[in-house]
Amino acid sequence: MFKKILVANRGEIAVRVIKGCREMGIGAVAVYSEADRDSLHVWLADEAVAIGPPPAVESYLNMGRIIAAARASGAEAIHPGYGFLAENAEFAALCEKEGLVFIGPNSAAMELVGDKVRARRTMEKAGIPIIPGMPAVAKTVADCEAAAKSLGYPVIVKASAGGGGKGMRVVHEAGELAPAVEAGMREAKSAFGDDSVYLEKYLEEPRHVEVQVLADNFGRTVHLFERECSIQRRHQKIVEETPSTALTPALRAKMGETAVKAIQAAGYNNAGTVEFLLDRDGRFYFLEVNARLQVEHPVTEMTTGVDLVRQQILIAAGEPLSLRQEDLRQRGHAIECRIYAEDPRHNFLPSAGKVVVLREPKGPGVRCDSGIYGGWEVPVHYDPILAKLIAWAEDRELACRRLTAALDDYVILGIRTTIGFLREVVNHPEFRAGRTTTAFIKKHFDGWGGGEVHDDTRRLALAAAAFDELMRAGRPREGAARGSQKDVATPWTTLGRWRIGGAGLDGI
Amino acid sequence: MEFKFLLDDEVRTVTVERKDGALVFREGEGSLTAEVRSVSENELLFVSGGRSRRVFVARDGKRKIVLAGGREFVLAEPDRGAGRRERREGKAREGVWPVKAPMPGKVIKLCVAEGEAVRENQALAIVEAMKMENMILSEVEGVVKKILVTVGELVDAERPLIEVEAKA
Repeated sequence: MFKKILVANRGEIAVRVIKGCREMGIGAVAVYSEADRDSLHVWLADEAVAIGPPPAVESYLNMGRIIAAARASGAEAIHPGYGFLAENAEFAALCEKEGLVFIGPNSAAMELVGDKVRARRTMEKAGIPIIPGMPAVAKTVADCEAAAKSLGYPVIVKASAGGGGKGMRVVHEAGELAPAVEAGMREAKSAFGDDSVYLEKYLEEPRHVEVQVLADNFGRTVHLFERECSIQRRHQKIVEETPSTALTPALRAKMGETAVKAIQAAGYNNAGTVEFLLDRDGRFYFLEVNARLQVEHPVTEMTTGVDLVRQQILIAAGEPLSLRQEDLRQRGHAIECRIYAEDPRHNFLPSAGKVVVLREPKGPGVRCDSGIYGGWEVPVHYDPILAKLIAWAEDRELACRRLTAALDDYVILGIRTTIGFLREVVNHPEFRAGRTTTAFIKKHFDGWGGGEVHDDTRRLALAAAAFDELMRAGRPREGAARGSQKDVATPWTTLGRWRIGGAGLDGI
Repeated sequence: MEFKFLLDDEVRTVTVERKDGALVFREGEGSLTAEVRSVSENELLFVSGGRSRRVFVARDGKRKIVLAGGREFVLAEPDRGAGRRERREGKAREGVWPVKAPMPGKVIKLCVAEGEAVRENQALAIVEAMKMENMILSEVEGVVKKILVTVGELVDAERPLIEVEAKA
């Protein structure tokens, strides 16, 4: 087993992997850009190496610096997390060449599945159903125009190296195509360093159902059932759950077998996810293989009891898979919400800044995978994911209730987050009824503003602010109040002269 | 005790008095009578009418941030905001309209040139933050008077990007 692993990522996933290493008695090395000097993953790791300026291309995407950091720290393996270099076959190959173990699939399989266009061809040959689309990457906008015409609108622009919704654009008519392709290329370039895009027919209102797979280096492959990730915004998953309400045991078994077949057709090893779109008639189509640990992996962990990060590390270390398909079971129901630094009341604008107060929920069946702490400044340079909240319970209804209560208990002040929005999503009657499709957010939450604030709520907030002033008045004067001393009209200053015993309220 | 807070550009006055072991908060037309307990730093419990409600209060520089009933309220000192309110009222849909960055990010595209006529909601620029592209739209119909940034520039929130002169 490895003695030391370098975690080539940041945020909640770096924290997750570092904790996994600790549990296995493996030393964890963090890397960080100048913008992340004070980030949680840096402080949790046993060692940390600076790898460059804030832009990801100069730090978290800089292969040379990451390899050098592994060398300098004496790490034997690199865990890439998700995003950044996680699905970069060149990086996986570079690790292989440098004698470092890349904790993920072999570079040849990654190259195959990472090239969405080649992957589609491979799957088609293996007899796996695929969505109609361009057989090759678009060279010009004119290529796209011709392809879109023959596929019929709507079509979707996808980054060939893509993932996480980056570079994706749905196009409903010919006039929107050129700007969408250009924007897709730009986003793909900045997210993956590769601007290749292609078109697929856009299926309306499908469900997004994916299957988790583990494959060891000796050809043994198991699947760990599905995750449904239909609740998406701008093609980014925001709520994920397992089991899916749309699968019958027979369909589940068939999709599981198909996923195993897809993984084997690609010569893939380590943890991977086979994504499918499922239409209303229970027909499913291969979408892509995600050659990495998924953001939503915790829901699988909570229902199967299998620690996927640990499995990834064991497989990478050359251990044979000890899990047998017939022993794997789904137990209960788990739902995950992604907590983003975005303002849902203002068109989901990113919200960087200081986390002034943080309270993370806990309790039976509640898991919070977080990359932040109170007092930390969220940098502007990276993906806005802050944390993930996962609730597990005996059944779906109980899991929804538990998740709602946990969201109520989740406090992040100072920056805007999606917590309040997610609470409403999970409470929506259509979600509760299990009628989830990729059109759910657009259909039920377009232009969401959260409703009017009740006078009662506003009064409670004002009362709390007043009480807070009273409390502070009982304490020695603080620096913050000093600035407005000559301003006699406001309580910020007049309170300074009050003498109340301790933190009590006897002076009123 | 009387307290004044600026909330959503409006000055709110809250009075607090003690009555039979509870506190009475009066604001505007209504009032709230509750027993209040500070259970940890930033965390208050309001118990009234057989219900316990948890409220969080944080101080960030000169702002106070309160989380109550699932909603976030940002309260400021009345003085600081008074000027801002006047400015806002005085800002009609005419004259020069500065288009500001809604969040910190990087200007990745300018969609218009100086002197160009623009419609309301026309895209003026694209600012990327946290790896997502965000379109900056014109709030008015008019003419681009001045472009204040260059492509590739990092901008802070509220930084003026482009000046649009509204059509008279």
